[in-house]
Amino acid sequence: MMTALESVPTELAGIVGSTHVVTEEATCRSAAVDGLQPKAMVYPQSAEQVAAVLKCAADHDLAVIPHRNGTKIEVGNRPRRYDIALSLKDLNSIWQYEPEDLTASVEPGIKLGDLQRMLRRHRLWLPLDPAGGARASLGGILATNASGPLRLFYGAPRDLVVGMKIATTEGKIISTGGRVVKNVAGYDLSKLLIGSHGTLGVIVEANLKLFPLPAERETFAFAVASLDAARELRRQILHSALTPIRMVYMDGEFRRLVLEPAGDARAAGESALWVEAAGSKRVIGRYSRTLADLGRSVSTAVASLGAEEAARGWQRIADFRALIAQSFPDSVILKVMLPISATEDFLAAARQECERAKARLGILAQPGSGVAHLCLPEVAARANAVGLIENLRRAAAALRGALVVERCSPEVKTQIDVWGPTGSDFQIMRKLKQAWDPKGILSPGRFVGSL
Amino acid sequence: MLYEYDALSSQRVPDVVVLPTSTEQVAQIVRLASRENVPVVARGAGTGLSGGAVATAGGVVVCFARMKRIIEIDIEDQRARVQPGVVNFDLSLAGMDRGYYFAPDPSSQKACTIGGNVAENSGGPHTLAYGVTTNHVLGLEVVLPSGEVISTGAGFWDRPGYDLTGLLVGSEGTLGIVTEITVRLMRKPEAVKTLLAVYDRVLDATRTVAAITGRGITPAALEMMDGFTLRAVEAATHAGYPLDSAAVLLIEIEGLLEAVEEQTEQIEEVCRECHAREVRRATTEAERDLLWRGRKNAFGALGRISPNFYVQDGVIPRTRLPEVLEYIDDVARRYDLRIGNIFHAGDGNLHPILMFDARNQEQARQVVKAAREIISKCVEMGGSITGEHGVGVEKNELMPLIFSEDDLEMMARVKNVFNPEGAFNPGKVLPSGKMCGELRVQVSASN
Repeated sequence: MMTALESVPTELAGIVGSTHVVTEEATCRSAAVDGLQPKAMVYPQSAEQVAAVLKCAADHDLAVIPHRNGTKIEVGNRPRRYDIALSLKDLNSIWQYEPEDLTASVEPGIKLGDLQRMLRRHRLWLPLDPAGGARASLGGILATNASGPLRLFYGAPRDLVVGMKIATTEGKIISTGGRVVKNVAGYDLSKLLIGSHGTLGVIVEANLKLFPLPAERETFAFAVASLDAARELRRQILHSALTPIRMVYMDGEFRRLVLEPAGDARAAGESALWVEAAGSKRVIGRYSRTLADLGRSVSTAVASLGAEEAARGWQRIADFRALIAQSFPDSVILKVMLPISATEDFLAAARQECERAKARLGILAQPGSGVAHLCLPEVAARANAVGLIENLRRAAAALRGALVVERCSPEVKTQIDVWGPTGSDFQIMRKLKQAWDPKGILSPGRFVGSL
Repeated sequence: MLYEYDALSSQRVPDVVVLPTSTEQVAQIVRLASRENVPVVARGAGTGLSGGAVATAGGVVVCFARMKRIIEIDIEDQRARVQPGVVNFDLSLAGMDRGYYFAPDPSSQKACTIGGNVAENSGGPHTLAYGVTTNHVLGLEVVLPSGEVISTGAGFWDRPGYDLTGLLVGSEGTLGIVTEITVRLMRKPEAVKTLLAVYDRVLDATRTVAAITGRGITPAALEMMDGFTLRAVEAATHAGYPLDSAAVLLIEIEGLLEAVEEQTEQIEEVCRECHAREVRRATTEAERDLLWRGRKNAFGALGRISPNFYVQDGVIPRTRLPEVLEYIDDVARRYDLRIGNIFHAGDGNLHPILMFDARNQEQARQVVKAAREIISKCVEMGGSITGEHGVGVEKNELMPLIFSEDDLEMMARVKNVFNPEGAFNPGKVLPSGKMCGELRVQVSASN
């Protein structure tokens, strides 16, 4: 094993060129996952090189974790082993951009912000606002099926990809789907790769569905006195004729943690529901009137945010994980997925659990999608972190939901499965992993059931 | 024996047809079939257009005609749980009184089942704005060839694990037999406007399609019908289509009242800029229904004027419409065939309809060759061999046109995980390897 590893850098250099294999301590440390450090960082320059690196790693039984900016690398169980960090930084081209067909093929290393800048010139966008925001790479977004509040209207990455190319551990590049927006030829292997957290293959090209940028956008903010009021507002908005593009509920603590440091004075203490409308001026006017009516019916005021304040707010919301992690290195962040109507009941239960454990709790929820993030800034330092996470997971399960630990310390990770229990379909998942990665070299141990 | 057909072809008589009433019965049937080593083919209403539900290797056909219960309509969670035999249209109606519906609307929606929609990943006119079946399925209950029953997905988004729901939707019954489906329901839009734009030249109609998208407008539906087809439809339906036109676009705009009004005006303007002779607005619900009835009954109408026809299903990037329609015209001339065009223009999903008489064997052979040329052109344009009808037995030998051996090998490997003995729906989707690049159509649908 050791001898194999020592000769491998030379072999890797033969594939990607010696300047693209880095074994320096500082570089390897920067690619550490859950405290585990790789022995080399490899920078392939093409899809073919990615495939060749994977084959080389498989031949020598070395574990590989794909990597770009690391905005989501903390999501997952602690790797069983980790030898090579596969940096997709240099695969950042855009192929076949067809503005009139509303499609583009991109490489995994391109950052969402760079892609949006290019698309904006043709008044288009890829309507995604995942954690990591502009810094998140397309490869990472797809590998984790990372969506943000915009999923309410536009769907998740799984709904926006029409085809892809995948490098396999056997050194092949396979295609699935195509470049057209409608296609049912063959199995939809894109779906299998999206959200597979780098455990089946490496996405080396993705064909995306693009959308026209809305003419105007405006964010309306409700002050929300209680979770009951939040529930009522959510119900009224969802049952109304309005189709907002995104909607978030933030409690006072979350606003203090994420918005207030940016100088949002109104953030102090108050819970809020933000609703973003998109369309023409006339359409925005309609939102303004209807939302004011809805607000009155639950006795709460609604205000329109200025364009700059809204843009800064949404950007900080997308960056919330990084912002909290910066100030609170030991923070725990949980993602909870629920039936839509159970959102507020769960949040009430979560509040009780956290009060009992005397843990600070900040809430960011996407009412309408059934997704909520719980931010526990200080809990990992406390002895009861694991117990609290387990109680919260039970509370989610009791409401027919599930909980994923998106961020926690490596110590906490040794005591829990961040994904939670597996289901009746796990045997199929295990066999699929076996079919794609028979030697188990891709992100070993990181996914559900320690796949 | 009716179960030997679907809307594509008749090929083989099944050995036995069973009509189970529960998941447990399906599992028992599957276990029995496995013990006896006979194939199992799931079947909904048999409206498929690629032979997906035909028992090409004989065996057991599991027909879901008696599993058609809507188990739950859950408006607060915007979802419904149904058995596979539920008819698409019945599900859409079930939530309508509370303002919610199931968005995918294949042309056969009054007959086709949700189970069939899931198997084929069906589309329909309104998928332009709302996506196809896969974008509306949250979870499945599935019987595996071993008789084991598993659940995929959940009643919420983002369940951790591989997206097996996404993989199963569109797998044409070759990976598992779906016995229960959780779908997303959408709120019915506040306002709907339907336009009929009439053209003297096909080219102007196809240019309009790209121009509408270019304005940043996504209509709910954007359908095109050429002159030949609309004359056949008019004779059967009396929808009021102008008989002397070269093409019409059927355009639907949905959403907030204000947005619909504005977009309707903008689209009318685009149509006129692209030389539409006339743009009509359906002013009443009855007028709107009539326009759509013409569109959705088109295949039936064509059956009145030709003993047989063969519906193709290719996809191209939408900006290539003018070029490809001209090509289809050219194919019709070269093969001396009548080819009608009625299709989902907004997403570049073509449905050329090739008329023929099956009693004329030479003509039947020519039709297959002509269709093959059209599909090859779609592939050359960067498109696909099927947009919504599926691969089935019709196009499995065409798969190598768009997929390499490595691609197909990986699909086969995925299939082996679920269906290692090939007991479920054998001979579908993946090429058999025996006849490379063949388009298979024996006797096509007719009225």
